[in-house]
Amino acid sequence: MASSGQETIIAQGVKVEGDFSSTGDVLIDGEVAGTVRTAASLRVGETARISADVTAATAVIAGEIQGNVHIQDRLELLDTSVVHGDVECRVLSVAAGATINGRVTMGGGKE
Amino acid sequence: MYCYIYDELTQHQRFAPELALIENRLTDLGIAGKIVRMALFRNVQEMVRDEIRRGTTSVIAVGNDETVHKVIDAISGTSVTLGIIPLGDGNGLAALLGVPHGLAACDVLSARIVETIDAGIVNGKRFLTIISVPNFSAELTCDGVYRVVPDEPSLLEIRNLAGDASKSERVSDPTDGRLETILRVSVKHGWLGRRSLCESVLPLQSLAIRSEIPITIKADGDEMTGTRFDIGIERGAIRVISGRGRKF
Repeated sequence: MASSGQETIIAQGVKVEGDFSSTGDVLIDGEVAGTVRTAASLRVGETARISADVTAATAVIAGEIQGNVHIQDRLELLDTSVVHGDVECRVLSVAAGATINGRVTMGGGKE
Repeated sequence: MYCYIYDELTQHQRFAPELALIENRLTDLGIAGKIVRMALFRNVQEMVRDEIRRGTTSVIAVGNDETVHKVIDAISGTSVTLGIIPLGDGNGLAALLGVPHGLAACDVLSARIVETIDAGIVNGKRFLTIISVPNFSAELTCDGVYRVVPDEPSLLEIRNLAGDASKSERVSDPTDGRLETILRVSVKHGWLGRRSLCESVLPLQSLAIRSEIPITIKADGDEMTGTRFDIGIERGAIRVISGRGRKF
């Protein structure tokens, strides 16, 4: 069951486990394990620790993700970001200092 | 047909002059109706249900937020419309609905802008505004698919229609079919260990609270104690008269 089109915020100090799904924008600063799926934009803050496969329309990542990242359009990896997993997107922006340990596939991300 | 439910608090002498003006104004506007007075040992729910059976189409709570909470279960899920004439203190709900205090509320009732709003349900009991749980450290199952646990005891609020508009606080939308669930956790930052409140916001249709030890929650101000709370939403359960200044 998906959360609504409203913004969802998972702040620091909170752990989420399971299949998180939303149709609205999502901001994660806390810990998440399971899967993360949103039809809108995803922002992963510097303090976020995600052990999950991630799916979103667009994403800006500053924290750590252990899992595959599937973004339909634009993915922005900021200098503090760490991704351990395969990355798939249409447009990729990587800041100096960002870490990607996985295969990067571009151009085929848009469905 | 209008039925006016007078809370016990309105029977205090200090409200007598304002009530007289209100009753005159309601007569002038052509919306006067039967007056039912709450009293000790009288079951409010039964009184309201009796009036609905007799053909009342609009129940007007005369008093404060607590007055509204007392009648809400009896009118939820019916075609009866709820109105408010705020008197006394503690009228946050009327403010969110854009209903002014006292005599001015009569004109809002007369204009009759009706909104259909959701009601929350906790363990079978309806609530209109908010559930709050201080020192919450149990597990929250959200929409049946994921769990949320705070690292430290937190303040949990589950809002249907709540928020202090006067403090520029976001007001939850009671027409969206969601309960705005807010968890405020105190988190240490940096070497100095300064603490700040971090606020998670989850728009949900259903929640389950499971605790190993009994916890106390407040739903619309009423306390409930237990280890299991199942919380959901009843869409479009209440027809309510609102003013042009409503906050959602």
